[in-house]
Parts: sequence; structure tokens; C-alpha cells
Amino acid sequence: MQYMILIYEPESAFEGEAGKNRLTDIVAKHMALSGELRASGVQKDGAGLQGSATATTIKTNGGVQTLHDGPFAETREHLGGYYLIDVPDLDAALAVARRVPVADGGMVEVRPLMVH
Amino acid sequence: MKRYGAAISAARPRVVAALAARLRDLDLAEDAFADACASALTAWPMQAPRDPAGWLWRAALRRAIDAKRRAAVRARAQLDPPDPLPTPEEALMAADEPIPDERLKLIFVCCHPALAPDSRAALTLKVVCGLSTPRLARAFFVAEPAMLQRITRAKKKIAGAGVPFEVPGRDAWPERLEAVLTTLEIAYAQAYEDAALAGETAGFAAEVLRLSGLLAELMPGEPEVLGLAALVRFAEARRPARLDDVGAMVPPPEQDIGLWRRDLIAQGAALLDRAAAAAASGPRQILAAIHACHCARAETGVTPWADIAALYDVLAAIRPHAATAVNRAVAIGEARGAEAGLAALAQVQGVEDWLPYQAALAGLSAKAGRRADARAAYAAALALDPPPAERLYLERRRRETS
Repeated sequence: MQYMILIYEPESAFEGEAGKNRLTDIVAKHMALSGELRASGVQKDGAGLQGSATATTIKTNGGVQTLHDGPFAETREHLGGYYLIDVPDLDAALAVARRVPVADGGMVEVRPLMVH
Repeated sequence: MKRYGAAISAARPRVVAALAARLRDLDLAEDAFADACASALTAWPMQAPRDPAGWLWRAALRRAIDAKRRAAVRARAQLDPPDPLPTPEEALMAADEPIPDERLKLIFVCCHPALAPDSRAALTLKVVCGLSTPRLARAFFVAEPAMLQRITRAKKKIAGAGVPFEVPGRDAWPERLEAVLTTLEIAYAQAYEDAALAGETAGFAAEVLRLSGLLAELMPGEPEVLGLAALVRFAEARRPARLDDVGAMVPPPEQDIGLWRRDLIAQGAALLDRAAAAAASGPRQILAAIHACHCARAETGVTPWADIAALYDVLAAIRPHAATAVNRAVAIGEARGAEAGLAALAQVQGVEDWLPYQAALAGLSAKAGRRADARAAYAAALALDPPPAERLYLERRRRETS
């Protein structure tokens, strides 16, 4: 089964000089995990996203589309990246998700992909 | 028809669990079992099966596989060519194999931490023990549509999110086992509540007895698992003595010890000894120890109330709950006098509309000679719609007080 692991983190964790170091550190951990998961065939895809300041949102209301600056929701935590993995079941997916590095206050969400 | 009903009820947990583990779909398992039961009621009067559970398993599996095929065909909107070789399912049905006991897997599925906590117990009772949605709604104090929605949502999550039908590996036990134990505890509380074990609850306590034993066999090194199995055995040992000959409830200190099941008491004691060897106490072991104290009367002739009160002190400290506080007050009332018990009960707040509280208040007040208070509390307890056996007991006590 394929699962998307969505990473939500407070962007404030990566601001300033200390934040920059934290980011370098966490990216290195992602590279290591991703390398291992790809080598074992578990990971199908994945990427980090640029900051939420780069986001543009298109809303559809009553058939009319409008463009908005910024991410869709005003929250402290933002979608910062994802892993797409293929594992036998939810327990296996959760085991991978537990290993995904996040900044303090961050969280990961595990969602199965639709099966067609 | 009644004869077949009993055979179907007895087979249900095993067959549904086996189907669910095979099909990895709770809804399909339950529907297929229901279909098989309908067929059984037509087929069995003509030829009684040698092995009703095996008959139901094969019939239900055939139904489920047909249903899966039809769904697959509908999805592709065209007919499949016939299979050239027998499928593994066909080979399986031809093999006439005994039903695998998959209940433990099913319990771990229904108690998965990815499900909402309030759904786990309801789902386990529904799927593993076969309780009806109306009965579950009553047990958990929610409306029937809400209970149905809770169960439907949980099943959807299991199927959609890919919750595995497996007993988890040892490294996952601390998290997963706590959820299972809590669920079984809630399930047993529902069975214990009704002394008469009327209607649907019949057989349900026996099911929890079996499941807790199965868990203890599978996880012999887990003291809380052993504690739960011991607790259920001590409590079930006294069941034959819980009703008198007019059907009224008999509280443990007044029960005829000649009716207690010594075999279950011995099993409980052995389990509790093994749990103690692990030197890691927990709420189920303490509850089991309290039940063991009640059962000790079979050997010593007296109930060790001071020990029981001390155990409730510990339980109240590690797992505060209104039921613990009320039972603690009753034990203190026996160990140190009714006034001390009433003082302990006065500390319990906000449970005036709760039957065990009013029953305890009535008993302690009567014992303290406060007849007016006792009468008021008996009246309040009886107004809270007690089950029939408890109603008879409370009415008798009220008569003795006036």
C-alpha cells in the first residue's frame, strides 16, 4: 500500500542563525533516511518544500477562481515536505513515519493513497 | 430454531474472527457470516451439520468470495473469463481445514491506536463478541445512530488506512497492549454489571474469560495481561452465587461460598502469583488482588476488609476513578466502621445520579443507624433504574430499613 507522509513544522524553528544550523542538521538527517528508504525500495518519491512565503493558493467559490498570496491556512505549522512510500500496511508506514526527523513542535501525518 | 441459535452464537466469535483475518475486511466478514446464518436456518433442519462452526465458516467464506468477485466484475463492468486453475480460496475451501483461531489478531485490529479510543471498545465488542449496536449504544450511553456511526467510521479507517491483521511485534507491545487491556476491561465491566446475565449478555462474560486467557497464554511475561486474566477468573468464580433463589443480587460478603467455582479461583490465584513474580504492579493486578481478597473468604471464613481498603487506596492513587472511590468508601465502612465509610464517601463529588454511589450511601447509612438517610438513598437508587436483580436486592434492603 502507498502512503504519503506529510511533514508539518513551525517555520519559526528554522529562522535566525540557530534556525539555519537546525535546518542544515535536519536536512542531513532527511538525506540519510531518504537514501536508506530509496535503496530498500520503500520510498517512491519525496521532497522538501520551500517556505510557506513562496506559496500561492487558488480558491474556487461558486465556480469562480481567485488567487491568494500565501498558504491555504493561517496556522503556525506548515506543510514542509513529504515522503511517498510503499509498504505492506499501516504499522509499517507508522514505523517509517516515526523515523522522519522534525523540528520540535512538528508533526507528521500518515495518509494512505486512494487505490484504483 | 432456538437450538440452532445457540450453535450459531457459540460459533460466531471464532468464525467471524477467522473470516476477518482471511478477508481483511470487517464488514464483509460480518455480512458473509449473517448470510451463512440465514442459509443455515434453511439447511440445518433438513440435515444437521456435524460441525456447525465449520459449516458456517465454509458457507460464509464462499459468500464472501462470491461478493468480492461480483464487486470486482462490477468495477471492471465486464465479465471475467473463467479461472483456468483453482484459486487459493477454492483450494482452501476444498481442504476442509479447521477454523484458525484468529481472535487475538482481530482484537489487536479493533484496539489499534490509530482508531479513536471511544471506538475501540465498542468495535471489539461488536466484531469479536457479536454485541448488537442497540446493546452497545445502551452500554456506552450514546444514541443508536451515533454508535452506528462510530463503528462504521472505525471500520472505514481500518480498511482505508491499511491497519494490519496481525499480532504486533514485541517492540510495539507497550503502546498496543495498553489499548487492548483497557478495551477488554471495559468489555468485562459491561458483562459484570448484570448479575443475572440476561439476554444478549449471556455468553459474553464467558467470551471475555476466554479472550483474557488466550492473551495470557500468548503474552505470559506481561504482568498486567496476567492480572486481567486473574481478575476475570476471580469475578466469574463467584457468578453462580450472585443471585438468590428469587433472582435478587447477593453481594460478595453474603454469597454462599459453596457455590463459588474453586477451579476458577485456583486459576486466578496462579495467574496472580505469576504476575507478582514480574514485580511490576499495575491497576489490573491490584483489582485482581481485591477480587482475590473477596475469594479468600472461601478458605478463612472472613473477608479481609482492611486489606481491601488498603488496595483501594493504592488503586485510587494510580488510577483515580469514581467507582474506585465509592468501593474504597464501602471497604473502609466495613474495616473501620460505617461513619468512617460515610466520611470517605462524602469526598466523592458529582456522582449523585450514579447508581453505585446511591447504593453505597444507602448501605453505609443503614449500617450507621441513620435510617432516614438510608431510606432516602434507597429511594434515589431505585429511581435510577437498576437492573432487575439489583432492584430486588435494593427493595428488600429498603424494607429492612423501614
